[in-house]
Amino acid sequence: MAKAITLEDSFGSLEKIIDNLENGQLSLDESFKMYNEGIKLIKNCNVQLDKVEKQIIILDKNGENDGI
Amino acid sequence: MAGVYSVTQINVYIKNMFKQDFVLNKVSIKGEISNCKYHTSGHVYFTLKDEFGTISAVMFAGQAKNLTFQLREGQKVIVNGRIDVYERDGKYQLYANEITLDGAGDLYKQFEELKIKLEEMGMFASEYKRPIPAFSRRIGIITASTGAAIQDIINISKRRNPYVQLILFPAFVQGDNAKESIVKGIETLDRMDLDVIIVGRGGGSIEDLWAFNEEVVAHAIFNCDTPVISAVGHETDFTIADFVSDLRAPTPSAAAELAVADIHLIEERIYSYSYSLNQMFDRIIYNKRNLLEKYNLKLNYLNPINQINDKRQRTMDLEDKLNYAIKNKLKYKKHELAILCERLNGLSPLSKLSQGYAYAENSKGNSVNTINNVALHEHLRIHVADGVIEAKVVEKTGISR
Repeated sequence: MAKAITLEDSFGSLEKIIDNLENGQLSLDESFKMYNEGIKLIKNCNVQLDKVEKQIIILDKNGENDGI
Repeated sequence: MAGVYSVTQINVYIKNMFKQDFVLNKVSIKGEISNCKYHTSGHVYFTLKDEFGTISAVMFAGQAKNLTFQLREGQKVIVNGRIDVYERDGKYQLYANEITLDGAGDLYKQFEELKIKLEEMGMFASEYKRPIPAFSRRIGIITASTGAAIQDIINISKRRNPYVQLILFPAFVQGDNAKESIVKGIETLDRMDLDVIIVGRGGGSIEDLWAFNEEVVAHAIFNCDTPVISAVGHETDFTIADFVSDLRAPTPSAAAELAVADIHLIEERIYSYSYSLNQMFDRIIYNKRNLLEKYNLKLNYLNPINQINDKRQRTMDLEDKLNYAIKNKLKYKKHELAILCERLNGLSPLSKLSQGYAYAENSKGNSVNTINNVALHEHLRIHVADGVIEAKVVEKTGISR
């Protein structure tokens, strides 16, 4: 699912950003930009983790279920 | 004559012998089935044979109902049961409790053949294996609706991530209906746009697991667009489904661990990124501030105002030095003057006069300091302290002093 990939991608991007901030000889401007992007990514990750507990859905013989 | 026994007595004697024999009471016999007859009562009568002999056998309805397969002519089986005597016919029989297909002979061979066939078709190739998503939200499960397998999967899934949506397609996992049931489950769940599908069951014999060796099931798994994790039996059980699936789990519990990411770890990871991000950025700000401070100090230090103050200071210093120097010079010159004054004073003719000395001057105005400059009867003027004396030279005498 697209969302799942984005979470992994987000992690990858965050690693890169943190690396850059750690090692890079970035200007203050660039540092601000990277930091903001990082914060945005983190917000996005948290949004994607939905916190709703779900009951298991059991399909009937015909593979149907009212709920789906 | 030795004792004469009735037929019945002999049969009873023989039956007792069998009954007391510990081998015959509980025995496993390998052979091939022939003359198999399913009675309407549910009892099954058959003959078990090998190269050199046969033995009659019967499986009563009570045990026969547990058979997971049809007994057929030619099947190689292992029969567990006891050998007893049916007195009525004066025959001994094998009373079967349990019959299993002899794996070495039949099923195992089928398994190997199918495995080779599908492998050559490329269905096990790693290029076709879909990656299991790192973070699944909706997970399909095809297994029996009761039993340890589904319970384990549910428990472990909920523990790792209570927010996943589990969808179960209850399937038959053994018996003749199983393969269609499993295929239907795969096809149904594949249409539901799930992240991953787990298909499997708990442990069992090769016959129990056989549905997962069926070719239709292999094709269904291969053609499934959703990634499939197979979880059939125990760690040591390998079925065709395990080879064709996108990932094999040794047990249903392991499948849940592979399918469901631990959300606590993910939350921790997100938090740690957040923390690192802030740390890094704080450090950058701190460094930049320090740098700014350094530049500020340097700039202040190089400020022209500082130079002015410096110069001013220097000027004042020089002024002081100048003043001092000139005062000294003045003092020195005054001193010099005083000395010269003294000298002058010392040389002053007036002082000489006041000391009692006289100054003689001739008529020309020249001073007379030698007898050679005066002539007898010359007119001289003699200056003394309080006046002038007009004199005439009367006599001159030379004296070597």
